[in-house]
Amino acid sequence: MVGTLGRNLTSKAVLTPTIIAMTVCFYGCMAWTIYVSFTRSGMLPNYELVGLAQYDRLWGDNRWHVSFANMFIFGVLFITGALALGTLLAVLIDTKVRMEGAFRTIFLYPLSMSFIVTGLAWRWFLDPTDGLQSFVRSLGWETFEFDWLVNRDMAIYTIVIAAIWQGSGLIMAIMLAGLRSIDRDVWKATKMDGIPTWRAYLSVILPQLQPLVITCVVLLAITVVKSFDLVVALTNGGPGFSSDLPAKFVVDAAFERANIGQASAAAVMMLMAVVAALAPYFYLVRRRS
Amino acid sequence: MTRKPVLLGGAALMTALLPAAMASAQTADVIHWWTSGGESRAIGVFADAFEDAGGTWVDSAMVGGQAARASAMTRIAGGEPPTAMQWNIGVAVQQLAEEGLLRPLNDLADAGNWVDNLPPLIVENATHDGNFYAVPVNIHADNWMWYSAAIFDEVGVEPPETWDDFFAVADQIQAAGYTPLALGGQPWQESLLFRTIIIAAGGRDYYRQVFVDHDVEAAGGPLMVEAFDLFGRLRDYVDEGSPGRLWNEATMMVANNEAAIQIMGDWAKGEFNAAGLVAGEDYGCHMAPGTRDAYVLVVDVFTFPVLDDEDATAAQTMLAEIMMDPATQVEFNRHKGALPARLDADASAIDACAAIGEQIVSDPDAQLPNMALAFSNDVEGQVTDLVTEYWNDPSMSAEEAAERFSDIVANADS
Repeated sequence: MVGTLGRNLTSKAVLTPTIIAMTVCFYGCMAWTIYVSFTRSGMLPNYELVGLAQYDRLWGDNRWHVSFANMFIFGVLFITGALALGTLLAVLIDTKVRMEGAFRTIFLYPLSMSFIVTGLAWRWFLDPTDGLQSFVRSLGWETFEFDWLVNRDMAIYTIVIAAIWQGSGLIMAIMLAGLRSIDRDVWKATKMDGIPTWRAYLSVILPQLQPLVITCVVLLAITVVKSFDLVVALTNGGPGFSSDLPAKFVVDAAFERANIGQASAAAVMMLMAVVAALAPYFYLVRRRS
Repeated sequence: MTRKPVLLGGAALMTALLPAAMASAQTADVIHWWTSGGESRAIGVFADAFEDAGGTWVDSAMVGGQAARASAMTRIAGGEPPTAMQWNIGVAVQQLAEEGLLRPLNDLADAGNWVDNLPPLIVENATHDGNFYAVPVNIHADNWMWYSAAIFDEVGVEPPETWDDFFAVADQIQAAGYTPLALGGQPWQESLLFRTIIIAAGGRDYYRQVFVDHDVEAAGGPLMVEAFDLFGRLRDYVDEGSPGRLWNEATMMVANNEAAIQIMGDWAKGEFNAAGLVAGEDYGCHMAPGTRDAYVLVVDVFTFPVLDDEDATAAQTMLAEIMMDPATQVEFNRHKGALPARLDADASAIDACAAIGEQIVSDPDAQLPNMALAFSNDVEGQVTDLVTEYWNDPSMSAEEAAERFSDIVANADS
């Protein structure tokens, strides 16, 4: 037993600071947030426990219901949308189009912009009085209507559109790298069997890229949970709070409303949603190994 | 070539002397959210005065009050407090003082006799346990109405005195092809509009019952239902691009004669001035319909975090003195659009609107607290959520909204 401690001493020494930082900054803060969510903390933390009062209030709050539901609407549509569009673009480029490099750059370009810039650009574009709607109307189509940005039932979908626009380039790049790594012999085999190209992609090639798909889903899921800047720049949660997302709810509660208790309770609910979403994946990985 | 060593020697000498020179220069790192055209000119008055007095001004402007307050809180929590931070006077300042985060300014207040030179409602709210914690620089009011003189002339209408007048006027304006009401559809702006309607619907005594006494019955009563009803009727007079619009963009709609009326605090005047328009000629100012006898105070203050560093504390003292100087306050408010917080400063020198405001605010009964003076940020947030939900959801009834309003008031002090 004494021997194991001494083994790989260098790598252990190198890793120790990281492990300490992880434990303190990451799990420490998480534990602190969970604890604070059971207290009556206001502008500053207060460590007196009040049970589930914060959660009680949180789930009685319409705005929280809207934000929480929006996270799922946004998450499902954004992940499937970006994945589908990104894969489609990758497949199209993979079929040896001319000027491949130019297309790749164009599709990847939105990723180089921050969410704030993306949000503002789309805000201008979608603004009914300045943007697309007024442009089409000025061309003569007077009844044209595209007011999603200011329509409380549709505003959340403008965030989905902007996020897909920004995110699908990355998915394309990852999937394209995967497609290019497929052995040419596989293609020859499908050609010999007379399988149509679309069928070959769907049934033979893409299933081989499953690990890449999982990577993409994880990357996109992280974007969903942390998305804050895009909402702030695009709709600022409006009209009303119809396009609010939990991350914005937490920041508003913690800073604007000086209510750290509510913010922590909301953050813990976000954590639980993430854990619930990732649990099946971990379960699969565990079983496979 | 021979001169070079001399130059180098001079530079070395300068470097040696520099620390001494630095020590006497005061640096003020000031967090504020005054970024629009008129606002940034206003804060520039303080910055110039501070630099003229030999200090160095570090401008930490943030876009939006929320971001500025968040930045201030984060910096205090992180152990790097700013020299001064802007706040709206109210419950939040009291809470900051109670947490011991703010520097008491009693020595300055005694020396400058602040108590006698400020309105009582401000003194009451700028102090905590008998200590002064905030330097008030202006008096704004929420309940102002701004209108385009050109549109009013063209349509041939007078500024509405009541909301009934408003609906008559607005119909005519709409028929003439203009947007009657310029509204920035952000929750705080919707909430501001709604509060002026509460005063119009119930009168200032009713407003006091709800916002000062936190009377639960009154907050859910028939007058509140009436206010929500009136508020809902305004949805037809707002243009499609309203949601998410900034307040100064809405002001510019009136300034550019695209929209007729905006209900907004008198910081809007700063925007008209920055656009080169003249009060009483290009644009008109009037109290919001039904609120001629009320002045809903919004007071910008600067608070000074407790600092360890002596130089930084001296910079705070210097800055506070500059901000409380009557002449500087008049000059500042000429750009800001507000009244000076000091009663001994001459507001009538500013413009016609300020003269109207000064006359109303001189009656102590007209001084009403705004949201920040009435409730904590947390409760204010809940009210704002309710108002914006009602405004954006026409299916919600006024009765339901009033009932939820009274629930919020009932839990406000628990």
